[in-house]
Amino acid sequence: MANPLLDLVYRLFGDSERGRNDTKKSVATDAVPDAAGTLGSGGVFLVLRRMRIPLIVLIVIFAVSVLGLTLIPGEDAQGQPTRLSIFEAFYFMSYTASTIGFGELPYPFTPAQRMWVTFTIFLSVIGWAYAVGSVLALMHDQAFRRELARRHFARKVAKLAEPFLLLVGYGDAAKRLARSLDEMGRRFVLLDREETRVVSIELDSYRADTPALLAEARDTANLALAGLGHPNCEGVVALAGDDDVNLDVAMTSALLRPDLRVIARTHSQEIAKQMQAFGEPEIINPLDRFGNHLRILIRSPAAYQLMMWLTSTPGASLPPRRDPLPRGRWVVCGYGRFGRELTADLRAEEIEVTVVEGSNPLDESCGQIHPEAVTEALLGAADLEHAAAVVAATESDTTNLWLLQVARCANPDAYRVALQNRAGNASLFREVGVDFGMVPAEVIEHEVLARLANPMLMRFLPLVPHQSDEWAAHVVERLVRRCGACTPTLGRLRLSDDEAPALTDWLAEGEVRLGDLLRNPKGRERSLDLVTLAVLRDDDVVLTPDDDYLLHADDDLLLAGGYEARQALDSTLVDLPTAAYVIGDRFVASSAVWRRLAGHSTGPSPRGDTVR
Amino acid sequence: MNLEKVIFGFFVLLAATLNFGFFYGDLGDPELHNVYELFAAVVVNLIATVLKFGDRTQLGAVHLATSLVASLQLMAAAGVWAYATSVATDDLSREMTASVVSLSGGALFANIVSVVLLVVETVSFQRR
Repeated sequence: MANPLLDLVYRLFGDSERGRNDTKKSVATDAVPDAAGTLGSGGVFLVLRRMRIPLIVLIVIFAVSVLGLTLIPGEDAQGQPTRLSIFEAFYFMSYTASTIGFGELPYPFTPAQRMWVTFTIFLSVIGWAYAVGSVLALMHDQAFRRELARRHFARKVAKLAEPFLLLVGYGDAAKRLARSLDEMGRRFVLLDREETRVVSIELDSYRADTPALLAEARDTANLALAGLGHPNCEGVVALAGDDDVNLDVAMTSALLRPDLRVIARTHSQEIAKQMQAFGEPEIINPLDRFGNHLRILIRSPAAYQLMMWLTSTPGASLPPRRDPLPRGRWVVCGYGRFGRELTADLRAEEIEVTVVEGSNPLDESCGQIHPEAVTEALLGAADLEHAAAVVAATESDTTNLWLLQVARCANPDAYRVALQNRAGNASLFREVGVDFGMVPAEVIEHEVLARLANPMLMRFLPLVPHQSDEWAAHVVERLVRRCGACTPTLGRLRLSDDEAPALTDWLAEGEVRLGDLLRNPKGRERSLDLVTLAVLRDDDVVLTPDDDYLLHADDDLLLAGGYEARQALDSTLVDLPTAAYVIGDRFVASSAVWRRLAGHSTGPSPRGDTVR
Repeated sequence: MNLEKVIFGFFVLLAATLNFGFFYGDLGDPELHNVYELFAAVVVNLIATVLKFGDRTQLGAVHLATSLVASLQLMAAAGVWAYATSVATDDLSREMTASVVSLSGGALFANIVSVVLLVVETVSFQRR
């Protein structure tokens, strides 16, 4: 470390912090470079260095002025020759140079003294203007401001006391994700290398204070500064537009903090493979997901609606259920691997697909299209006039729009599906007329939220498409009835001794029915407004169990419902008398002594023996 | 030759020599200690201090510390002198002169350390 003073400070205060980390987390964060070390103390030194010349100029001007004043003879009140002492001259210069001007002290000056003072006034004004100007210029200096911003950011990150996520990249997808996370009350730190984006974070005004840094995420030092080594960092989400950056971030996190969750976005399978070489990052490829979404939608519009709803921003209203997709012949316009995969996905759903791609109409090498050839292919070989649906899935919005326009002219009845690469083009797609448009940023948001919102949710969601459409419709209907039309708050509940101490005895006997557990403590005839979406027991997931489902100890429940209902349930879980009433409709005394005196057992008892 | 080094060395050395010039002589005799020399020593010491701003090395930090000590001691000496001539009733007494000069003596020690550091820095630079 450069500065011995700073070093001492870090040694004094750093150690206690480090000690705490060790007890908190067994995984050592030593591998991550010290964020403070990478920061240095550049800002202070820069100020001092830049202030050297202005300060010296000021000192010299003062010295010359004071010296001159003491040397020039003056007169006292009686007209006797006298001179200013150095102290008096210094006093005079101090108030003159700072433009306070008390007058000529201790005696009125002689003309010779006044000539010198005139000269020194101009000199000192120039000196002050120069010094103040230098400080102001420094305040506007880009490098200096950036340095200050970095320190401010590092301080904020270091002070984060809650678990937080490290978000790399602040594009469309990250913006949506950040908004949702903020709604959920999660904390996050942002890192982007584009100034306009970092500036826009301030305008987006999140509820929680969100540290944001303008820096290149590929630099490990910057990641460390953003809290990669912080004990409260709970995961890294790499959503940068550049795949290489995401790869770098995933790799760095996996190497330095193998205990962290990493969610990375990529458009290429090669990069995805490279990412998988390091640890187990969760990879999101929005283009891959396009095919999956279409498959789910083809199978069950209700399941698609349910999945989208559960993974949207808290408070979002229920998305409308889409009409079933036509099962006739589909025409897919998309080149390369992406088009092939989409085709494979559709064929897996037993849909007849005609592909418009390849070297002739769509040149794979440079992604350029030849309008004439494509039009010919669409109308000729692909026989668009008789197709049920057409998919425009190139990576260029201009091409997609054009394809949709061609399709609309040729066959106005065909179902039109489009990949909308840029969220900003939504109005154009609406104008051209698209039945199902997929925005990658939106997909990424849903996918990341599904992974971050609740650990149980990722056990539940993959099973949804395999259920029947009626089942999904029923779940949606129940959720709307119980929790309202806004996105239900999801909660996880583990029936362990820690989380449900009041239920231990009943659970051991295997007498807790799900329906009984969810009764209202204020009146057990009513049940709480909670919906059990899934129960996880020994890696087996039971979807939407009914009221008679018998719960075991250490079952994991995925619950949807409001805050009040969840609080009521918590009182059942923790408070023994409440639990006895809710589950067994019995009265149990609150104090242990009274319970013993009354001879009540704390555990379950035959249903008949109700005391109330 | 580095002009910055020349200026730096010049001021560090000048601060020490002026300080020594003021300090040298009978401790309590006002006639042996010229106040303008004290004035020059204060000014040059302040300049030397400012010149040492913004050096990130370990040696630079110690340099700055010694100069700060010298400047503070000299300013204290100047303060005592101003008090003795302007506030106290008997002009510059023996006791007052002695305290002004001994304060500057402390500054002289710090200035000597500064010069030693300068020499050490120069020598170690040549060896590399």
